[in-house]
Amino acid sequence: MRKTLMAGSLVVVCVAILATDYVGAERHPFAARAAAEQKRVTAARLERKNRDNAVAWVLIAAAAAFLTFAKGLVGPAKVPVRGDRSATRGSRADEGVRPTLAAAPELDLEFVDQVVAKIGRGKEAGIPLLQAIQNHYRYLPDEALRRVCELTEITPAEIAGTSSFYGQFRRSPVGEHVVRVCHGTACHVSGARQITEELRRYLAIPDGEDTDAARLFTLDEVACLGCCSLAPVLMVDGHTAGKLTPATACDALKVTA
Amino acid sequence: MKRRAAEIRIGMGSCGIASGAEAVRDALVRAGATVKTVGCNGMCHREPLVEVVEADGRVLTYGNATPEMAKSIVRRRGWQAEAPALQGQRIVLENCGIVDPLNIDDYLERGGYRALTMSPEEVIAAISESGLRGRGGAGFPTGRKWALARSQPSAVKYVICNGDEGDPGAFMDRLVLESDPHRVLEGLAIAAYAIGASEGYLYIRAEYPLAVRHTREAIRQATERGLLGGLRLEVREGAGAFVCGEETALIQSLEGKRGMPKLRPPYPVERGFRGQPTLINNVETLASVPWIVRHGAAAFAALGTGNSRGTKVFALAGKINRGGLIEVPMGVTIRQIVEDIGGGIRNGRAFKAVQLGGPSGGCVPARLADTPIDYDALAQTGAIMGSGGLVVLDDRDCMVDIARFFLKFTQSESCGKCTFCRIGTKRMLEILERLCQGQGRPDDLDKLETLADYVSRGSLCGLGQTAPNPVLTTLRYFRDEYEAHLHERRCPAGRCPALIRYRVNANCIGCTLCAQACPVGAIAYRPYERHAVDDQLCTRCDMCRQACQDDAIEVI
Repeated sequence: MRKTLMAGSLVVVCVAILATDYVGAERHPFAARAAAEQKRVTAARLERKNRDNAVAWVLIAAAAAFLTFAKGLVGPAKVPVRGDRSATRGSRADEGVRPTLAAAPELDLEFVDQVVAKIGRGKEAGIPLLQAIQNHYRYLPDEALRRVCELTEITPAEIAGTSSFYGQFRRSPVGEHVVRVCHGTACHVSGARQITEELRRYLAIPDGEDTDAARLFTLDEVACLGCCSLAPVLMVDGHTAGKLTPATACDALKVTA
Repeated sequence: MKRRAAEIRIGMGSCGIASGAEAVRDALVRAGATVKTVGCNGMCHREPLVEVVEADGRVLTYGNATPEMAKSIVRRRGWQAEAPALQGQRIVLENCGIVDPLNIDDYLERGGYRALTMSPEEVIAAISESGLRGRGGAGFPTGRKWALARSQPSAVKYVICNGDEGDPGAFMDRLVLESDPHRVLEGLAIAAYAIGASEGYLYIRAEYPLAVRHTREAIRQATERGLLGGLRLEVREGAGAFVCGEETALIQSLEGKRGMPKLRPPYPVERGFRGQPTLINNVETLASVPWIVRHGAAAFAALGTGNSRGTKVFALAGKINRGGLIEVPMGVTIRQIVEDIGGGIRNGRAFKAVQLGGPSGGCVPARLADTPIDYDALAQTGAIMGSGGLVVLDDRDCMVDIARFFLKFTQSESCGKCTFCRIGTKRMLEILERLCQGQGRPDDLDKLETLADYVSRGSLCGLGQTAPNPVLTTLRYFRDEYEAHLHERRCPAGRCPALIRYRVNANCIGCTLCAQACPVGAIAYRPYERHAVDDQLCTRCDMCRQACQDDAIEVI
C-alpha cells in the first residue's frame, strides 16, 4: 500500500514537472531576438531538455513500479499456496474470524419446551421435534434430547434409535459453516471425488473427521442435492454453487468469509 | 379473448436460483419490468432462463441470462430463436415454467381444480383405463391400487404422496413440487375422493426446502378456497433416509419410528398408517391424475406402447450437452433421448452407456440404445424404468467405478434389517473396492454374481432386492472392464485413482499451466521445458489435465 502510494505520487510529480516545462517553453522564432538573448534562451532550453530527459526516465520507472504494486492491491486476491497448510490456516486466522463453540455454554432448553408445546407430545411428533431442535441448535444436544424424553411420550431408546437412523441428524456440534458436497450420480461422474479431496486438503481436515481445526467449516458428503444439470455441485449454508472444478470449489467457500 | 400484455417469466426453481436467477430478477425489476416468477420448465442447462411471452403468443427465450442482459430483455433485443428442445405432449410438466407456483389463480386459470362430476367408481375406472402405472419405480397399476384401497371397509383411510426422492441423479419430484404444487395436491384430492379418505400427508425430502415451502403454501391457499373437498393435508419432511422411499418404511417414518420396511402383505392399502388402509402414490403419478380426469383416459392411453401408457418424466444428466427435465411419451428410444433431446455427448466424446433408475437400476450400453423406454423392454436389459433418473456416461467413465458408487450408496442406506442386504452389500462393496484398487482376487467376479443373487433373494424390500442391479448389468455388458481391473490391474477408462498415472507427452509447450494448477506441487515449475509429473506426490486429482490447453497430459 505505502509503496503504491509513493510510486503513484512520484508519477504525479514527474508529470507535473514535464507539464510546466512544456507550458513554460518559449516558442518565439530566434530571428526576432538579439544574439545574447538567443544564447540565453538556448542555454535555458538545453538545461530544461536535459532535466526533462532525466525526469522522463524516472517517470517510466515510477509508472512501472506503480502498476506492479497497484496490481497487487486491486488484482485477484492472493491465493494461498495450496498444499501449504500452515499458510492457508494462517491467512484465515489473520482475518480475525473467531473460532466458535470453544466451550459449550449452558444450553438454553427454553426452546425445547416451546417446540414440544407447538408440535405435540405423541410418538409421531418425534421426527418433526428432532428436526426443529436440529434447526435451532444446529445439532442434537444430549440435554435437549433428554428434555424431550421428559416432556413427551417418546422414550430415550426410541429417540436414540431415530436420531441415529436418519442421515439428517447430527449428535455432535458443527462448524460455523456447513459445506455439503453432492455425491449424486451426475456429480460423481463429473468429479465430486476430486472436489471433496481438494476441499479436505484446502481446509486441512484430518482423515476421519469432518470439521477443520478452527471449527469454521464442516464438510458433509450428501447423496443428491437435485441440481444434476449443474454438476458437480456443492452447497455452503443455503447457497448452491455449480459447475465446479476443484479450484472453483475452494473459491465457493469464500462467499461465507 | 382478452388481449394480454407481454409477460416476462423467470425460472426460480432450485437450479435457477443456484445459477443466479435472483440477481437477474432484481436487475429486471430495476429495469422497470413486471416479472413473474415461475418454476422451472426443465431446460436446466439454460438456467437462468427468462422467457418473454408477447401479447400475440410469441415466446422469446433468453438462456443463461445475466443481470447485464436485463435492459436488452426489456427492449426485446438479443433473444435466442431457440426452439425448446423438449417438444411433445406434456402432462406432468404441463404447467411447469408457466404458472407461478405460489399463485393459485394461475393454476385455476389453466383449468386446475375443476369440479369432479364423476363418482368415485368412475374415477377409478378412468384411471384403470388410462393404463397409468406407478411412476415411483415399481410400476404397479395405479387404478388397481386405488380399487383395492376403495374396497377396504374401514371408515378411516389415508392418502400419502411419496416425495422422498432419494435416488441420486433424479430430481423430477423436486421440480414438480417446486413449479406446480397445486397439480400434485389436486391429484391427491382426487385420490382421496376416489378411495374415501379424509386425511393426507405429503412426505417430502428435507433436502428440498423450496419444494416444502411451495407445497405448504399451496395447501394453505387451496384449503382457504375450499378446493380440497374437506381433505386435511399436511407436509412431513423426510429426514434423510433413502429407504423411506419404500412405502412401508415411509409409514414407519411418519409414525415417528426408524424407517425400516415391513413384510408385505399386509399391503399398506389394507393396513398402513396407524393401522388403517393407506394409499401411497408417487408425486409424478399423482401429477398425471388431474390431466387424465380432465382430458379422459383415452387421451392418456393414446400415448405410449404396450403395457406402458402415457408419458414419463426423466431427469437427464451426466455427460450430455442439454441436461434437464424432459417428458417423453413411452416408447421413444434411449438414442432419441440422448441424441435428439439431449443434444449428444458433451465435448464430442463417445456415448458409452446410460444409467437408468439409480441404485435400483442398471446401465444400458450404447449398443442397446435403440431399446424403447417402456417398463417391459427396460426390464429385459436388466435395468428398470425406476423413478426417472437418466445419467449419460461417456468413454471416460469406468463401469466398475459406477457399480462401486451405487453399491456404496445402497450399502450405506441399507436399514440393516435383513442380513443379506446388510452384510451382503458390504461384502460386495469390498470386492468392488478391491477391484478398483487393483487388488482383485481370481474368483472375485464369480463371488460377486453369487452374492448378488443371495442379496436380491434374501431381502424384504426393493432396496435390497434391486441393490445388485448396477453390478449385474455392468458385469453383463462390460465384463471386459472388470477383467482388465482384475487380471491386468488396469482401468481402461482411466478413472480408478489407484490404477492410473499421469504423464506429460510431447505436446507440452512448457507453459506451466499444469504446474500452477497442481495442488500438491507434483509438477515442477520449469517454463519452456517439457513438464513432468512426480508420481509419488500426485493425488490423481485431474486438475493438471483440465488445466492443459494442449492435450499434453495423458492418463496411462
